[in-house]
Amino acid sequence: MAECLLCHRSMSHQLTLTQLLLPVPIEKRCCCERCWQQFEAIHSDKACSVCGRQLTTRTICQDCQKWQKQATMEFKNRACFVYNEAMQAFMQQYKFAGDYRLAAVFEPFFRQQVNRQKADIVVPIPVSEETMQTRGFNQVMGLLPNVVYQSPLAIKSNWHKVRQSSKNRHDRLQSPQPFIISRPELIAGKSVLIVDDVYTTGRTIRHAAKLIQDAGARQVNGLTLAR
Amino acid sequence: MDVSEFFGRQLLSSELPVGWKERVSKLQVQPGIEVMATTVRCNRCGVTTTKQRCTLPNNQFYCPSCIQLGRVSTLNSLVSLPEPNRFERINQKDVLTWKGTLSKTQDKCATDILTVFQERRQHLLWAVTGAGKTEMLFRGIAWALSQGLRVGLASPRIDVCNELFPRLVQAFKRTDIQLLHGRSDIPYRYCQFTICTTHQLLRFKVAFDVLIIDEVDAFPFAQDDGLWFAAQQAKKADGALLFLTATPGKKLFQMIQRKELSISYLPLRYHGHLLPTITCRLASKWQLKLEKGRLPRSLIVQMQQRLKHNIRFLLFVPHVAQLPAVQTSLQHTFPNEQIVTVHAGDPDRLEKVQLMRSEEINFLVTTTILERGVTFPGIDVFVLGADDAVFSSAALVQIAGRAGRNVARPTGDVIFWCQSFAPNVLEAIKQIKYVNRKGRVLQQVRAEDNG
Ligand SMILES: [Zn+2]
Ligand SMILES: [Zn+2]
Ligand SMILES: [Zn+2]
Repeated sequence: MAECLLCHRSMSHQLTLTQLLLPVPIEKRCCCERCWQQFEAIHSDKACSVCGRQLTTRTICQDCQKWQKQATMEFKNRACFVYNEAMQAFMQQYKFAGDYRLAAVFEPFFRQQVNRQKADIVVPIPVSEETMQTRGFNQVMGLLPNVVYQSPLAIKSNWHKVRQSSKNRHDRLQSPQPFIISRPELIAGKSVLIVDDVYTTGRTIRHAAKLIQDAGARQVNGLTLAR
Repeated sequence: MDVSEFFGRQLLSSELPVGWKERVSKLQVQPGIEVMATTVRCNRCGVTTTKQRCTLPNNQFYCPSCIQLGRVSTLNSLVSLPEPNRFERINQKDVLTWKGTLSKTQDKCATDILTVFQERRQHLLWAVTGAGKTEMLFRGIAWALSQGLRVGLASPRIDVCNELFPRLVQAFKRTDIQLLHGRSDIPYRYCQFTICTTHQLLRFKVAFDVLIIDEVDAFPFAQDDGLWFAAQQAKKADGALLFLTATPGKKLFQMIQRKELSISYLPLRYHGHLLPTITCRLASKWQLKLEKGRLPRSLIVQMQQRLKHNIRFLLFVPHVAQLPAVQTSLQHTFPNEQIVTVHAGDPDRLEKVQLMRSEEINFLVTTTILERGVTFPGIDVFVLGADDAVFSSAALVQIAGRAGRNVARPTGDVIFWCQSFAPNVLEAIKQIKYVNRKGRVLQQVRAEDNG
């Protein structure tokens, strides 16, 4: 009997009638319908056209208007889900508690979204050596087990990263470039999709985008699981 | 962080402050995960997991089973320090500050428990709901504390821990007592007496000279071998282990049969009465009929009788999804009654329970045993669909135990409506009969004593 990865209830009798009647196979989902409903998908016609945040119409949100004043870079992000309570709880469990198998909850959906972007190369945001030692995995790569991705970025070796979650918004917007390009040859002339788990202030993914663009990418876009 | 926080504890190396691993002498370090061919085994919770479910990149593994307590993995290890029993000695006669008295039966049980602790045995006390278990522990605990022993009291349920804590603080005012569970913000301290959830036991190692586990069969550890594992590693190898339960499960019976556990009974409730016996009625296809808006005729008749004689009752149904249909049907049959339904996740649960408690309503339709300590004196109990798998035999005994509980109406009626005599129903009936048989003998002895 399959058990929901998130609430641990048995999923055997939770199929809806329509699911049973449909002639197509049900996509193997690792969490129950009830838990899945807690996540709020963002539709691009009701989202910020720059960062992907959920809005009532397709416009540019205030944060992004500020970004556009100071940056010259052309960068658009798409976010799949609202960073609501359920998503925060998921991230807490997956990323901070380190329950790696939970990646399976979003894997099929996220893979579809990545493929839909039709980029030449997919670049997950890297994590530090220290994080690999303690967490044991890169939470973005964990979501992409069936996607071909490249790693042209690395974290600066002297980068002693203060935990993002312990900083306030202002500190994060000020934080300096954490990345370097370790393999520029992967990027030149390509359309690049940078993938991250959560878009919070946009600082991290924009640092990455800037480097990639400067290294000669033809186009740089972002995709995050949540915003 | 103080070194004493490691005494008898089993923590993750990643929780150690920098440099401690080298600095603290006698620190015992053990791998957290044993890697086998296709599975891994966690040294903290004892659970074996197939590699497929718990592999990290770079051929590393973790334990998903006890991850709530901080992740055990091949990237960290388990550390602990031996328990030195470094406690302030209190004079034996000053330890217990409780001044109540025990009934004759309770008194005998209290002495039995003291002996279990003194002889460092593993024992099960089977006491019916409402027997006054906690007070019977005091004598044994007082002895252990006066001997400088480390004592733990664990329950699978947080609400039980929360309820016990203030009572024990009152009873042992001079002792340092800590309450420990996942939803408490109070940081861990080295204490002689710890009250915690059974889950928290996994963060102890060879710590307790005396370990008591209350409500062994309560959700969610009911069929869990993990509880046994946790208890065995949290107590000292020669430590005493006492299980308390109103509804022992299969595992405990097996252990009694294998003589790993001795057993004693307290088959009477505090007012000296037996548990109510269960009456079963067949109700075939009641779910289908309910969909058409009908409830079993015999149930309606029983309800009518209770309402006529002003006897209040609880009606249990198996599933939350059935509540609206039951409500509609009852409203139709009893247009003058206020029909209130409640379930565990109901946001208005407390208000609804209050309606029943303050006797503003005559009955409550529910899917759950409500909170511990929520008792309605003198009620009857009906269970529609008692054979449904959601009701374990333990739950059914607990449900039956809600009836009566009042000196004026000590037993109360308990009626189950079932489609078949399912094993859970039969087991519940058997357990109650068994306890009552013992109870009758005891009543007899008492009557002779008094006569
Ligand atoms: Zn679920
Ligand atoms: Zn925006
Ligand atoms: Zn474990």
